[in-house]
Amino acid sequence: MKFSINKSPKEIAGYTNWQKKLILMILGGSLGILGVSLICLNFGVVSIHPKEIFSLIWNSSLDKTNSLIVWQLRAPRIIMATLTGIALATVGGAFQGILRNPLADPYILGVSAGAALGACIGIALQYATGYYLASYLPLFAFLGAMLSLYLVYLSSKISYSVNSTGLLLAGVAINFLFSALITVLLALSKRELHSMIFWLMGDLSTADWKKISLITLPVIIGCLLLFFSSLDLNALSLGEEEALHLGVNTGKLRMRIFFIGSIIIATVVSFTGLIGFVGLIIPHIARLLIGPDHRVMLPASALLGAIFLILCDTLARMVISPSEIPIGAITALVGAPMFIYLLRRK
Amino acid sequence: MSFHSPILTIKGVSFSYNHHREILSDINFSLSRGELLGIIGPNGSGKTTLLKVISGILKPSKGSILLLNQDLNNFSIEKIAKFISVVPQDTWVAFNFKAKEVVFMGRLPYISRLKGETLEDYRISREAMKKTHSLSLSENNIQEISGGERQRIFMAKALAQTPQLLLLDEFTSHLDLKYKYEMLNLLKKALQEEGLTIISIFHDLNLASIASDRLILLNEGRIEQIGTPQEVLNSENLQKVYGVKPILINHPDLNVPQVIM
Repeated sequence: MKFSINKSPKEIAGYTNWQKKLILMILGGSLGILGVSLICLNFGVVSIHPKEIFSLIWNSSLDKTNSLIVWQLRAPRIIMATLTGIALATVGGAFQGILRNPLADPYILGVSAGAALGACIGIALQYATGYYLASYLPLFAFLGAMLSLYLVYLSSKISYSVNSTGLLLAGVAINFLFSALITVLLALSKRELHSMIFWLMGDLSTADWKKISLITLPVIIGCLLLFFSSLDLNALSLGEEEALHLGVNTGKLRMRIFFIGSIIIATVVSFTGLIGFVGLIIPHIARLLIGPDHRVMLPASALLGAIFLILCDTLARMVISPSEIPIGAITALVGAPMFIYLLRRK
Repeated sequence: MSFHSPILTIKGVSFSYNHHREILSDINFSLSRGELLGIIGPNGSGKTTLLKVISGILKPSKGSILLLNQDLNNFSIEKIAKFISVVPQDTWVAFNFKAKEVVFMGRLPYISRLKGETLEDYRISREAMKKTHSLSLSENNIQEISGGERQRIFMAKALAQTPQLLLLDEFTSHLDLKYKYEMLNLLKKALQEEGLTIISIFHDLNLASIASDRLILLNEGRIEQIGTPQEVLNSENLQKVYGVKPILINHPDLNVPQVIM
């Protein structure tokens, strides 16, 4: 008798215990991130024996140069890739949820175009004025992102439609406007063209501990806040009115997710540039693997996004080393075939 | 007549989008507990709008709605969700949830976002599926079942919400004869045993006549007549509102009017 009471009561009614699923998944995913990180730490222009890397992790005073390579170059990039992957995939999943559109990605609501315009203006100013502005580029990008966030918010308020279409159209419109301005800047640019294009395609090579310390809190707290809206996002999948009937204030929910998501993306993108594809495809893969329930789908996206981006960044460093391919190109080149394979298998 | 206070009172309600033409004009009626009120009327007569005004999705431009003698404006949508549930006419789910997960969403108004659901929420969801004969669908993906099956799942979801007032918009449109019959029995039982109150839109006048205690006949946003099916379904009303002259006969068993073309 005692045994039957202890037998996980939440499974009796035919409903699986999602908390158990979540905990197992987080454990597995974290181990996965750790494992992939340790492996990727071994790849780079300078070959360092895995044994040495392992001992450098515990004791960095063994070899100055190699310690510098591991601790100041490779490790920050891996951690930056982890945080960026978590941010892009989680926000992508949440935006797909509020827009009820599986084609949405973290960049669709305009914030990235604002960041890109800000960064390009910064780059153009640097060449025009001769001042060295490279270290201020994230600030330019962040200000641009905040400007676009504000403009999208204003236009979605003016828009007649109160449902998700209003927000989506506002985002797309601001995206086009800012992209056009970027095109003008690119057309006018000469020497600075290369830096601009590299920024636009995303780049983790400038990762360092200071940048990591700046983005960690916004990403972690922001994603946790998004996770707490999971049940409401589930309700919204049934439709705008259905969610209202279930007591979900859809207008507030949409604005909350839009603001939190945009601030996460603005923070990350300001340092990394526009890394595409991750935020679009990883939530899909998560849904294929564990179903659409946002309570497990969003954390799964975060974990998969991190692993995916660590691997892609390692490839970006390795393929034509010592040069680098922009990581945005790698994410699409690797991700698209993988995604098509998963779709077919399903 | 019972002395129960009405569960819902609609007083002089009008509705228009941005001061354009009124879609609903001066609607008045009240509803007692355990009653099934049918709404009939031609296309564009304001049936669905009336349902949306009652469920709090649209705010009336004039008049007031009292739910359990309190103005609906005083209820937050979170609170309304504990009293009223709705089965929509058409359902499209953005992501491919399992049917049982959709039914479980009916429990959302009761689930604390921090503490999560309880075993009771699962039990109620399962009970609702049992009642709507949809338990066998529980593991199926919602995007991959038929329209009628989806309607049963959404009915189960609405029941899992344990409402006092259930609003149905054409809930039988995709159901075959067997499930129409079973759903009607289910609703009759819920009305009598659980004190549920129902407002339902019908396109099928004969079904409306069989199922409803009272009928509202809407015409161009106004109530043409409200009363028992015998009172409302007469050839004069039907000719005025629908513009056709049907033949009315009496149902041999149930003694309610039936319309034949």
